[in-house]
Amino acid sequence: MNVDFGMLYHSFGNIFTLNVMFLIVVGVTGGIVVGALPGLTATMGVALLIPLTFGRPPVASLSMLMGIYTGAMYGGAISAILIRTPGTPAAAATILEGYPMCKKGMAGSAMAMSLFSSFIGGIIGCAIMIFMSPLISGFALEFGPVEYFALAIFGLSVIISVSGRSLVKGMMVGFFGLLLSSMGLDPISGYPRFTFGFSELMEGPNFIPTLIGLFAVSEVIANIEKMLKTEKVKAKLNQYLPSWSEIKRSTGALIKGSLLGTVIGSIPGAGGDIAAFVAYAETKRSSKTPELFGTGMVEGVAATEAANNSCQGGAMIPLLSLGVPGDAVTAVLLGAFVIQGLQPGPLLYKDHMDLVYAIFAAMIVAQFVMQFVGMVGMRFFAKVILIENAILMPMILVLSMIGSYAMRGNVFDVGLTIVFGIIGFLMQKYDFPLSPILLALILGPMAESNLRRALVISGGHASILFSRPIAIVLMVLAVTFLVLSIFTHNKIEKRLAELAVKDDDMTLT
Amino acid sequence: MKFADVVSGMIGILIGVYIMIQCQSYPEDFVMKIGPAFFPEILAGGLIVFSVLLILLALLGKSIGDFQKLSVREKGTQRVLIAVVVMIVYCAVLKPVGFIIATIPFIMIFMFLLGNRNKLQYVWVPVAITLAVYLVFEKLLVLSLPGGLLSSFL
Repeated sequence: MNVDFGMLYHSFGNIFTLNVMFLIVVGVTGGIVVGALPGLTATMGVALLIPLTFGRPPVASLSMLMGIYTGAMYGGAISAILIRTPGTPAAAATILEGYPMCKKGMAGSAMAMSLFSSFIGGIIGCAIMIFMSPLISGFALEFGPVEYFALAIFGLSVIISVSGRSLVKGMMVGFFGLLLSSMGLDPISGYPRFTFGFSELMEGPNFIPTLIGLFAVSEVIANIEKMLKTEKVKAKLNQYLPSWSEIKRSTGALIKGSLLGTVIGSIPGAGGDIAAFVAYAETKRSSKTPELFGTGMVEGVAATEAANNSCQGGAMIPLLSLGVPGDAVTAVLLGAFVIQGLQPGPLLYKDHMDLVYAIFAAMIVAQFVMQFVGMVGMRFFAKVILIENAILMPMILVLSMIGSYAMRGNVFDVGLTIVFGIIGFLMQKYDFPLSPILLALILGPMAESNLRRALVISGGHASILFSRPIAIVLMVLAVTFLVLSIFTHNKIEKRLAELAVKDDDMTLT
Repeated sequence: MKFADVVSGMIGILIGVYIMIQCQSYPEDFVMKIGPAFFPEILAGGLIVFSVLLILLALLGKSIGDFQKLSVREKGTQRVLIAVVVMIVYCAVLKPVGFIIATIPFIMIFMFLLGNRNKLQYVWVPVAITLAVYLVFEKLLVLSLPGGLLSSFL
């Protein structure tokens, strides 16, 4: 399958209607706000805003979702630069150069560059997505149950290997998440499993309430425990676009960041946070003045922000063409797609070609809207991140409760949200990563039904799982990622230990 | 040794064992031997293996990370417990009392728990949030929220 430009052109016509444009602007603005607010990750933001898309026609609702996603990926940079707190994990690398720039009085320049590079990264990511995903979906049409099972296992092992500090805990969470996904009617025989007698659990724990509980309510509870104080900020925002010389200086970083971001984003399980750190490291390594990094280099901001926004296009590739989410945020998006009655995967290209192109068009439009809204609203967003926790958190809580209620009009789902809020809070407190659960909920049913289908075909012989080359490659990669992660975890622990020592020194002197 | 890791491992094992026991009662497929119990049993096995590993690592003193103890005597833990109780009460009264009446005091309590001591804010913030959410969901998105006691007025 190749790109159908006529279709793309036609899709822009569907997007440029007053109604859809309005929804994209609202989505982008909402996305930037939740992305910028420290404590609201992009995952949580998208989950909280999904109820806003209920009950709209698919094109409108998907466009709004794309807007939310785009805005949220950028928003994190604002708080990373201004108050040294990443609004989203993907913006953590932006702190490295963005905050020093802010301290040097160059906040305006850092903000302008982060917005511009997010825009460039977003556009490059979209372009690659538009060319690659039809190709991959054509390729994936030949995938059988064995490949899909391997793909699900691969996605899960990647997210387990990159999240959290302990592989053992990550694996526990992975299995726990898969068990959660097996609740409800068995996909093949239809036998109800682990429903505890609740008819509401027949289809398993409902995705949106589970998600909102794990990612939003847990965060509110953590805030209640620690009572974090909001920081004050004083920064001069006097620049909306980076200067020409800054752009010229950062061209290399922009391109490298965008390409790295798209590639890393397209790996199922790996997301914007990794992409940003890799792009930063690469820019620093190839710079003529690596020793100046950490003191406020505009290239650093350009690389990290281009990377985390281009990741969006990358992550959409496996989501649209394989039905496998690229990271936690796209896992949430996948849930939203399913609510709209759409099952992403190769068949989406066959049956709903128009919608796929509408998504492409909406994503491109959303990038432009982001650049525009970001410039117009820069001062406003800089103020929003200062909103007091004592007001913000109750607001998130009410939105969580009502968001989970609204989907089915069911109080049971509110209870579910609270239960998962408590589980999420305890897990985070004791260093269990949450994202594997999210991916497991999406990939679990896919893994199970394909595994069983494959075994039915082979008559119960497990050897069939290793009979197809693509599946073998994916399995080997999955194991490699997990094994490698033990070493990286050790490295991170060492570095953390060094940092802790340094911090102690600082407090002593 | 990290006590928390041992406890988490125990919980993992308990969940795994519970699943295993439940799976015994599930119907088996005599032809394929792959019934509804097949996948959960593998998963429960995996969960138990890694839970045991976590406990072993903890006993060998190789736990990673530092965490605070969860003690009822701590102020933070008490606040969390209150918050959880308030959430459960909210969930229980949401339908009979209705969204608007239940949400205003709910927000006030959480503002207090989060350390807000600005009296004026208690007056307008809960009302503003409640009305905004109500208007967006009920009027803009046309999703119905529980009316409860006020349902005849709305």
